[in-house]
Amino acid sequence: MRYLPLIPLAAGAVCAPVFATQYLNVEQAQKLMFPDASAFREQNVALSLPQMQQVEKLAGLPARSVNWRVFGAYKGDALLGFMVLDDVVGKFELISYAVGLNADATVRQVEVLTYRESHGGEIRTPAWRRQFVGKSAAGGGLAIGEGIANISGATLSCTHLTDGVRRIAAIAQVVLKK
Amino acid sequence: MKKHVITAAIAAAFLAAPLAATASEAELLARIEKMAAELEQLKAELRASVKKTEAVEQRQQVIAAAPAPAAAPAPAPAPAPAAAPAPVAGAALASASGFSGPSTVLTGYGEVNYNRPTKDASQAQADVRRAVIGIQHRFDEKTKLVSEFEWEHAVVSADDKGESEVEQLYIEREFGNGLRGKAGLFLIPAGMLNTNHEPTAYYGVERNFVETAIIPSTWREVGVQLSGDTEAGLTWDAGITTGFDLGKWDAAGSDGRESPLGSIHQEGQMAKSRDLSGHLALNWRGVPGLLVGGSVFTGKVGHKAEGFAAQDARVTVYDLHTRYTPGRWDLSALYARGQISNTEALNETLVGNPTPVPRSFAGWYTQAAYQLLKADDLVLSPFVRYEQFNTAKSYAALPAGLGVAPSPDEKVTTVGANLKVGEGVVLKADYQKFKEDKTRDRLNLGMGFSY
Repeated sequence: MRYLPLIPLAAGAVCAPVFATQYLNVEQAQKLMFPDASAFREQNVALSLPQMQQVEKLAGLPARSVNWRVFGAYKGDALLGFMVLDDVVGKFELISYAVGLNADATVRQVEVLTYRESHGGEIRTPAWRRQFVGKSAAGGGLAIGEGIANISGATLSCTHLTDGVRRIAAIAQVVLKK
Repeated sequence: MKKHVITAAIAAAFLAAPLAATASEAELLARIEKMAAELEQLKAELRASVKKTEAVEQRQQVIAAAPAPAAAPAPAPAPAPAAAPAPVAGAALASASGFSGPSTVLTGYGEVNYNRPTKDASQAQADVRRAVIGIQHRFDEKTKLVSEFEWEHAVVSADDKGESEVEQLYIEREFGNGLRGKAGLFLIPAGMLNTNHEPTAYYGVERNFVETAIIPSTWREVGVQLSGDTEAGLTWDAGITTGFDLGKWDAAGSDGRESPLGSIHQEGQMAKSRDLSGHLALNWRGVPGLLVGGSVFTGKVGHKAEGFAAQDARVTVYDLHTRYTPGRWDLSALYARGQISNTEALNETLVGNPTPVPRSFAGWYTQAAYQLLKADDLVLSPFVRYEQFNTAKSYAALPAGLGVAPSPDEKVTTVGANLKVGEGVVLKADYQKFKEDKTRDRLNLGMGFSY
């Protein structure tokens, strides 16, 4: 019993190597996704009504918002891809995340910038996020149970994040694709 | 910018309208009036749009003004000339882009169940099993309060059978680098059900037996806990809390046989705290769709109570669990075992009673569910679960003739389906078959929700 207080301390010490991705800022996310880029230009998107309808059709979800925060990643004048910022509600709280997209609208990377729920932080696990890479709204496979595996104990967070990525992939398909 | 485009478009529309060429004066007037109306509508829309933009800008300014907790605002890497306000957004913490939710959130869950023993319908029962209200309040980016208040069995009074309880009441603080701490009354991270006990989260009308009889869900203790995640998908929780009170054991009653630990838990109600308990839980989710985990909880339960015959008694509970969700399948398995040590002297004082303190109790289950139908927002998932459990697997040795024989393992097969309506509502139906006590065979119907 005397040593009980040591349990959490020891566990903390052992596992301290921790998570660099928890409070990632926008710049850090940009550099993680496009290490070769020499410039990022904010080129926000405002969806027209027909575009929103196309997005809804592709994603199977409401387009939710007209305006989207988008950064173009450039190496010199060459476009490398895009990064789209968004928030979704996990269970009770907002998850801030960024989706990196290649110029052909396939998903390049998903990064969780901020996670605030008590449970379900496992959506930040790289192995889980890697499931999105290379997929597109047109190609499919961007839904829980259909290409993206569920996370036990974090069902709502992973479902909502997956829906969010699918919506952004659809926007990329409709508006950004070169 | 947008304003000018729209204005220009309207002007162009006027110019392009072949008015004079085709229309009579009356027609012309009508058309002008119609256009004027359209113009008014456009103006209104524009005003709304401007207001919205202003609100967004205001919010951005507020965010920019707020001190960034981790990173000092730095210039954006390559600010494009067109994006004047961009440096603010680009350099501020990402959380700034989203932290606009209300700081106090109301949540809730509940279930209403119907049980009908198939061999004795006179025992059929409908029950408002639980109604729970949760209030979560965020004090700041790093600190929040989580609380849950529960009513069981609909009516609570001295003459009624209901219970009213504080199920969770804790403060959680983020320490950065993935570490977070809790203090207060919180759920023990044992098994899979205890921390995910909302009716929408499990299959079957009733919670499984292993995680109610062996692991006493919904199991919470008062104490402190530290948690963290690693890149490899490992989540750990470690803490020190109150534990059980063996002084509450009722050898004459049947509660101890239904759930040994459920009958001596303290639930933060003036909990005896001479002896504290420790717990450790590890859960690994390194492969998408797979969870492998385990937990251990241990602590003494005598609390140096005067004249109590089991001062050195210790409760230890551990579990191993796994869940795999490939595609439409949802497969899981769990093993849990509990022990209460040093109970010989206590049990000697209880000789003649039907329910002495067991030395060990254990159980396991395996479950398979399949998402069979998905139409619109309805999802139908049939499932089957087989469980085996024993709340009195063994007793500490007593002089010959005085002991109670260990119970046989009960084996229960549950077959049924969950029908999810959207994300927050579930309708359930199942049938449970008991191998030992066949009188318990029953049909269950349930409604549950969680938001």
